[in-house]
Amino acid sequence: MIARSVALKLIEKCPEIQLICPVLLNNGDEKYEKFIKSTKIIVIDGCMTRCATKLVEKREKKPFKRIFIPDMFKKYGIKLTKKLLLNEENENLAVQIMEEIIKELEEVEVKEILKSSKFETLEFFEIAVDKYHFKVPKEGYYFNENDCWIKPEGKTALLGISDYLQNVAADILFVEFPEIGSEIEQFDDAGSFESSKTVLQLISPGTGKTIRVNKALENNPELMNQDPYQRGWFIEIELKDFIEDGELLMKGLGYFEYMKEKIMKEKNIFEHIESEKNV
Amino acid sequence: MSKNYEAEKQTFMGVPRKIIPWWPTIDYDKCNFCMECDKFCPHNVYAKFDDEKHQLKVKNPYNCVVFCRACAKTCAPDALGFPQKSEISNLIKKLRYESLGD
Repeated sequence: MIARSVALKLIEKCPEIQLICPVLLNNGDEKYEKFIKSTKIIVIDGCMTRCATKLVEKREKKPFKRIFIPDMFKKYGIKLTKKLLLNEENENLAVQIMEEIIKELEEVEVKEILKSSKFETLEFFEIAVDKYHFKVPKEGYYFNENDCWIKPEGKTALLGISDYLQNVAADILFVEFPEIGSEIEQFDDAGSFESSKTVLQLISPGTGKTIRVNKALENNPELMNQDPYQRGWFIEIELKDFIEDGELLMKGLGYFEYMKEKIMKEKNIFEHIESEKNV
Repeated sequence: MSKNYEAEKQTFMGVPRKIIPWWPTIDYDKCNFCMECDKFCPHNVYAKFDDEKHQLKVKNPYNCVVFCRACAKTCAPDALGFPQKSEISNLIKKLRYESLGD
């Protein structure tokens, strides 16, 4: 009963988790066979027979995590009762186990994102102004005039902020993502981020559905400052029509020229203000 | 200190900023003149008029960054409105096509 409760609580909390029915799996459901090979498996065994573990082992798959409910009773200092229905203590235990699994999943996801191996080496257009250094990737990225980028990869695209915007924002401390599944139109607000200086929005360069957010930014928002074009990506969307989006976007060189002009204009304004102060 | 962005010369996606009608409108039935938007906006879009009934006004509409609505997030009484984004992006596309034809 507790194993079932943990599983149900997990899918309630994280809809992207899918439940595998041991009976159907045992009957060799093809859909499950493919699914098991391509994903992380969490095995929850409710009793000593450990059916779930055996079913997964039979498929030569190493589970991402194994939960053996009797061990959990010991771990959290709860006594087993002979009653079949779950009492409040059992329900609380199910919640604790569910939270433990989610925490572990999140930690692994963040580590996977932090591994930069999947990012290629980029070539940049670069300019240094006073103590600031600004970079724009030469290829693969498209920009709007709101200093946000989109990097299309087939039917999906990563979105983020430019090096210029991260310099303007200074140290980014908090991020707020749009909801997974939310539809975003080009130039919609696709989340916000807060720095020591201000709150800024990511104004979407593309139209599509949010399919992933960079969870690593929740604990490491500084990645947006340190690596705005790769590890500091913000969200991923499923593109609707990138050809149409492209009509109001600039490629690397075009944005670099636009950015340089903007930096020089701001530098002139700043110098003008400073000179007025000194009069 | 006024921040003059020389709006006459500004463009957005190649379109003169002066012909893009993007700036906030203030709903004076809701505005409580807390001035949070004015404090927030780094582009001097708003200005304070202490001696007037409407103490807050949009003074430099063309300083407003097209598609930016960040100041609305600071507005507790939800008194700030912006144009329909799709209308503005369609207008920009249209103007760009027209200028290509010139």
